[in-house]
Amino acid sequence: MKELIQQLVETTGPSGYESKVRDLVIENISRYTKDVKVDALGNVIAHMGNKKPGGLSIMLSAHMDEIGVIVTHVDDNGFLRFTTIGGVRAVNCIGGRVQFLNGLHGVIFVEKLENANQVPTFDQLYIDCGFSTRKECPLQVGDLAIFERPFIDMGKRIVSKALDDRIGVAIQIDVMRQLKQTPHDVFFVFSTQEEVGTRGATTSAYGINPDLGISIDVTVTGDTPKSARMSVSLGKGPAIKVRDSGMLADPRLVQHFIQIAESKKIPYQLEVLEGGTTDARAIQTSRAGVPSGSISIPCRYVHSPSEMVDMDDVENAVRLILSFLSDPINL
Amino acid sequence: MYDSLPFLKKILALPGLSGYESPVRQVIADEWGPFVDELQTSRLGNLYGIRRGTASEPRPRILLAAHMDAIGLMVTQVQNGFIRFTRIGGVDPRILPGQKVIVHGRRDLPGVIGQPSPRLLPEFIGKKTVPMEYLLIDVGLSTEETRALVRTGDPISFAQPPIELTDNTLAGHTLDNRASVAALSVCLHELSTIRHTWDVWAVATVQEEETLAGAITSPYDVRPDIAVAIDVTFAKGPGGGGYKTVPFGKGITLGWGPNTHPAIFEVFKKVAEHLDIPFQTEVSPAQSGTDAMDLQVSGAGLPSLYISIPIRYMHTPVELVSMKDIQRAGHLLAQTVASLEADFVQQIRWED
Repeated sequence: MKELIQQLVETTGPSGYESKVRDLVIENISRYTKDVKVDALGNVIAHMGNKKPGGLSIMLSAHMDEIGVIVTHVDDNGFLRFTTIGGVRAVNCIGGRVQFLNGLHGVIFVEKLENANQVPTFDQLYIDCGFSTRKECPLQVGDLAIFERPFIDMGKRIVSKALDDRIGVAIQIDVMRQLKQTPHDVFFVFSTQEEVGTRGATTSAYGINPDLGISIDVTVTGDTPKSARMSVSLGKGPAIKVRDSGMLADPRLVQHFIQIAESKKIPYQLEVLEGGTTDARAIQTSRAGVPSGSISIPCRYVHSPSEMVDMDDVENAVRLILSFLSDPINL
Repeated sequence: MYDSLPFLKKILALPGLSGYESPVRQVIADEWGPFVDELQTSRLGNLYGIRRGTASEPRPRILLAAHMDAIGLMVTQVQNGFIRFTRIGGVDPRILPGQKVIVHGRRDLPGVIGQPSPRLLPEFIGKKTVPMEYLLIDVGLSTEETRALVRTGDPISFAQPPIELTDNTLAGHTLDNRASVAALSVCLHELSTIRHTWDVWAVATVQEEETLAGAITSPYDVRPDIAVAIDVTFAKGPGGGGYKTVPFGKGITLGWGPNTHPAIFEVFKKVAEHLDIPFQTEVSPAQSGTDAMDLQVSGAGLPSLYISIPIRYMHTPVELVSMKDIQRAGHLLAQTVASLEADFVQQIRWED
């Protein structure tokens, strides 16, 4: 599993440019099902199972895209100005390194600030790719880059960029590997453009028209020094989302997941997230409405290049989702 | 005449936070039942009250949306027997300390919102409003009892019952937007006594205060030709004057702005003038902040309008409404719907 996660996080795929991740996903899942499609927005939609009487059509979604930056200006001396793809914070950028889709590397730094303690704005940051003139610089306006940082295996915990949401992608692939039987039609969606407004999930949910929707994504934790108050901790189990700032999870689904976790003795936490949302928001409001919820992987330092998750939570999320898909669902 | 006051008081006393509307939905269904041909509930919990019109098939349909969800609070953490919380919908933290609430845990628990003494709070707060994250709910139970009965994600409702200040003035929480649900009851009752060519789908929508999910999804079930949202707006009163507010108890408002289709506005205006129903034009130069925002852009687009009932002290537990305005809104809706000819939508012409 760790090997798969490492492969996934080391692949570049900022929102709208997920093709390398898509290829890797398809390569990994095609041994579990032949029914794999790519839709117009680049979502991978893999179907497993055959709906039996009483079964449902269930859409699961984990997004392939990651946050990044995009060039807005190249100056005379070859320095690049940029804006963000998704929720990047300036405070996480300075001294960081980026890699462009064409393989070039750059470092992000900051103009001299009047007050060294102030948090800079993005217009005070620039990328240096080691060129001295605009002419030398092969990059131009519109080129995208992702944050670069090596994967670290700490044993029980792992650290990397893009664990949001390649950890969800890895979990879905592992669920596909282990799913032996299901009374449902299950659509595993590996979605695009989540970080810029859950766009891939919006269209794939419309196309699939499921009875239930579940997103598999990360959530923040409240277990670090002087962190924001939050009842989720790393390593205490996958989080069953009750609400986030974009979605109220269907209470019947929340209850159903709690029952599964308690009966199978899978550790779990309940999540109330006050900032951010997931693909489930888009699924919930698709067509005439789809009862939806989320299984979240607790993750420290979300949207920084050093996101941290606990492998126990990952394994338990897989168990929880497998149980969910294996039995009939009566909400 | 149908008196909506007993019904309104009943639904104001019921929980039904965004995403958790089932307690109130059942009672609205009971009230609407005698006035409609059919009741349906959507997958997300919207309640549809359907009255069939007299025109031949395929009959045009009008969707009348009033959201039934309430603002409130939600448990974020149980700490040493006390409950920390966040908001559902736009709750103003200034009015929270001292409120009575009901925590919907493993069973309903009465509680009060306590505010720590200034000496126990970080210095930066001083005498300013205490931020929500420093407020606590006390349900009077031990740490163990609280932990057994309450968990993260449990919804919390305001507990004050509504009070009649005068014959005509009602105060309570959740008049936003159950005042409009009551107006829909008035409308449906009146339509049950008169002839109308159009099919009418009254919708009590879910989740307006958080995600507008009910409004976004309802047109896919209803497939309407026109959509009207009924909501509340700011009445003049203490702390609310000037051009952004409308007089209290002096009539309803018809919305004007990008969420309004001029032809729909015109037909409501004409009926209101004809029937001497007092109204004002409420200008929303950008989005109206109502279900109409999403109704308008659903599917291939819907000619839309929003109608508002003026209330004071919006999003507090003492919202104030004039019962007359609820009656007026319902009456205007019923009479305008009844005035629609079967080919009304085809008659709409955009002026160049």
